Amino acid sequence: MNVNTSVSVSEVDALQSGPVYAQIEFRNVTKTYGKVTAVEDLSLTVSRGEFLTILGPSGSGKTTTLMLLAGFEAPTAGDIFIAGRSVAAVPSYRRDQGIVFQNYALFPHLTVIRNLEFPLQMRGINAAERTRRVRRMLERVHLSDLGGRMPSQLSGGQQQRVALARAMIADPPFLLLDEPLGALDRGLREQMQIEMKSLHKEFGITTVCVTHDQEEALTLSDRIIVMRAGRIEQADSPEALYDRPATSFVARFLGEANMLENPDFQFKSDTPQASGTVAMIRPERICILALDAQKRGDADQRQSVNGTVEDMIYAGPLRKYHVRVGNSFFIVREHVASGQQIFRPGDEVCLDWLRSDVRFVAV
Amino acid sequence: MMKLFQKLGRMPIGLTIPAFAILLVVFGIPIVLLFLASINAPAFSATNYLGFFAQTANVRVLFQTIEVSVVATSICLIVGYPTAYLIVAASKSVRITLIALVIIPYLTSGLARTYAWIVILGDRGVINNLLLQLGVIHSPLQLIYNTMAVYIGMVHIMLPVMILPLVSAMMGIDRSLTAAARSMGARPLTAFWRVFFPLSLPGVRAGSLLVFVFCLGFYITPAALGGLRDAMLSTFIAAQVKNSFDISRIATSAFILLAIAVAVLFLLGLDLASAQGRTATTAWKSWVVRISKLDMLKRYFSRFSDSYRAKLWTTQLYQAGDDSRLSNIVGTMFVLLVMVYLHSPGLIVIIMSFSSGTFLEFPPSSISLQWYQTFFGDPSWRGAAWTSIQIGVAVAILSTIVGTLAAYGLNRTHPRLRSFLTMTILTPVTIPVIVVAIASYYGLVNLGLIGSRTGIVLAQSTGATGIVVVIVSATLANFDRTLERAAKSMRAGPLQTFWRVTLPLIRPGVIGGAVFAFLHSFDEVVITNLVSGYSIRTLPLKMWENIRNQIDPTIAAVSSLLMLVPVLWLIILYLTWWRSRLRDHRSRPELET
Repeated sequence: MNVNTSVSVSEVDALQSGPVYAQIEFRNVTKTYGKVTAVEDLSLTVSRGEFLTILGPSGSGKTTTLMLLAGFEAPTAGDIFIAGRSVAAVPSYRRDQGIVFQNYALFPHLTVIRNLEFPLQMRGINAAERTRRVRRMLERVHLSDLGGRMPSQLSGGQQQRVALARAMIADPPFLLLDEPLGALDRGLREQMQIEMKSLHKEFGITTVCVTHDQEEALTLSDRIIVMRAGRIEQADSPEALYDRPATSFVARFLGEANMLENPDFQFKSDTPQASGTVAMIRPERICILALDAQKRGDADQRQSVNGTVEDMIYAGPLRKYHVRVGNSFFIVREHVASGQQIFRPGDEVCLDWLRSDVRFVAV
Repeated sequence: MMKLFQKLGRMPIGLTIPAFAILLVVFGIPIVLLFLASINAPAFSATNYLGFFAQTANVRVLFQTIEVSVVATSICLIVGYPTAYLIVAASKSVRITLIALVIIPYLTSGLARTYAWIVILGDRGVINNLLLQLGVIHSPLQLIYNTMAVYIGMVHIMLPVMILPLVSAMMGIDRSLTAAARSMGARPLTAFWRVFFPLSLPGVRAGSLLVFVFCLGFYITPAALGGLRDAMLSTFIAAQVKNSFDISRIATSAFILLAIAVAVLFLLGLDLASAQGRTATTAWKSWVVRISKLDMLKRYFSRFSDSYRAKLWTTQLYQAGDDSRLSNIVGTMFVLLVMVYLHSPGLIVIIMSFSSGTFLEFPPSSISLQWYQTFFGDPSWRGAAWTSIQIGVAVAILSTIVGTLAAYGLNRTHPRLRSFLTMTILTPVTIPVIVVAIASYYGLVNLGLIGSRTGIVLAQSTGATGIVVVIVSATLANFDRTLERAAKSMRAGPLQTFWRVTLPLIRPGVIGGAVFAFLHSFDEVVITNLVSGYSIRTLPLKMWENIRNQIDPTIAAVSSLLMLVPVLWLIILYLTWWRSRLRDHRSRPELET
């Protein structure tokens, strides 16, 4: 797309030949508030149709990144490009985007239909076309009967769907999601995750999602960016991030991890341990066995150590053991299965794992 | 035009410019000039102040002003605290009724209520007539034109001002705290003194400050009900303006009054604040917030449909033991007495306004509408009423626009700057009204607007704008700004966002502000009296003149009509706020289907 293409032209494109989804690029973006640096030298490209999640604890700069992308904040340095066009100086209301806000931000004084109409009215779309689009959108999110309701008369899940519908209705070139499922309870959240995933597949819209919920991030995203203190700690696919975290921060933030500093046994590993790194192994990659049990697999590729069970926590489908091996602690997670041997605190056990499951990550 | 708005949108503080312009021209600059005059600038000397204190008459009036204000405030507190406590402890429906019964007189014209006491306490008034008829006395008792009458009248007017902040503070106290204290072995009275009372202190402070400052600047009631010896400093200042316009002497008296007000505000604010480990600025801020009687009003209305927190604990509060029934009876009697005191004068006047004889009678021997006919038939009364309505509407429109813009701008300003600017905008309603009147008078003289409607509208708008700012700010504080972001993300510009999202959502606050601005103007005597320059007669001015010169029974009819105004407004407001709440609560059960 041409660098100088104005929004209105891209909009006409969208109306004529279906929506054109945009590529987003952050180029060396820094944002400071007084002395506090919220985002530091951030460079990042979101490709067309990608579902990218920015994950991080509070204060990591993820919300600021979203604010910059939405145009509610201007970068202190650097530039942001949407579909190749610099938008750093363009106020939010001149941009073309769909946002699902954390608490949905549905207009409480307008009905569902009027809420959905709002972005269309602002784009000067005529009444007949608006009605058509609203009806189609309501059908798509299964809310056709509720168009006349006020937002306060909807359940949490329904509000979520309206917010999503409102963000998508004007066929924006990209979608921003700010903790989109944070306000829902667990069961509903899983259902909405599936719905959102399928919506994304159907539309193929470029999506940037900000969350601190790792499960949401792992389920929805094509790619995850883990942020820490205003910088990108690691960017990769969900599987790669989980299996091959680059740093102990990422390892701890995504899932549970055994970090073993100075264990009093030697890790058998194919790659030598570099300085400034620490051994990491996921709790579910460790087998817990009785001392006399038969070990599975090829002994060359495995390692075993003996330890003492200190605690056992039963958590429905999982059983969690705390095991002391010399001066280090292991957390071991085992799926509950019938006929399994259950260990009690004080039991001597053998921990066994695949050598390739041990990773050395930066501290 | 669009460009200008966009620029203002980016610099929200710019939205406060109109409000500050009016404030500065009508009040700010003149008060600085007055201060300079009082210290004989540019020569700078304290001769005026020394001169003031050299005259024993002045000092006597000053002390009397302080004495009357302190005594009236104390009586209000002694009567108001138990009343507020009992109101808060009552069941929900009773509480709502009682709060409405406190608010109605609060919003009713002070003049009409003062007039009621003249009718009741006068030589040929209700009490004397009754006693004479019963043969208890043979010549009328001197009930009016003495200090006693001043206190009766002032407490009557100030009591709601004390009760409302107290109720507000007490409603905010979680009753489970008292219950917790009891569970830890505190006896009911200990629990009250150690837990409830300290937590209610902010209300005590706010109520006392409000009442005290109002008393300092108030002169209607003392002048109407008091004798010659009961003059207040404000009466004295107003007289000086009317008789000899010696600017430096007037300014001196005004600043002495202002100094007392500020000193008390600061002392009381600072003292209690430091006890709670807060800073003086917070105290100031909370005072500014608390003065927002209207903010409180709004909260009451929203509580109308809320169930009171920890209701269970409230009922427990009354399970004090065997004496619970007795304390219940005593409490009920007390509240009943207070309500009778607040409402009987008004009711008596309304009943008497239907008298058929040449004098007002109570009870009337037969019913007639003659005084209403006189009121509507007399062009001077009708004209005064019409003038008041016109000025009131103008003030409401001007101050609502200016005040809403300012509140919106302040809401988006840095908190520290915001509290300072809010404090400044509220000055005309936080200092003794006579000082505001003098400053406005002087300001309008400079503008050549004395005796013009424009002048009156401007002078009344300074206070009315403050009221609007408070109410709209309270509404904006609950406004979710993500909604504006949402609108902008959907390509609505700043103006469209304000018009289509912000304004509809804060509309109840804006309407409330307009209503209270109108009421403020419609009942204003002190400022209007000075700046009207005899040429314009508003309804309160004409009433005031009549009360002082000849007691014309028509006033009874006017007062009765004036008492209807706040009731009407309350209904309008209740409907607006209630409707907006209804929208949020409508048909919840449907969700299950």
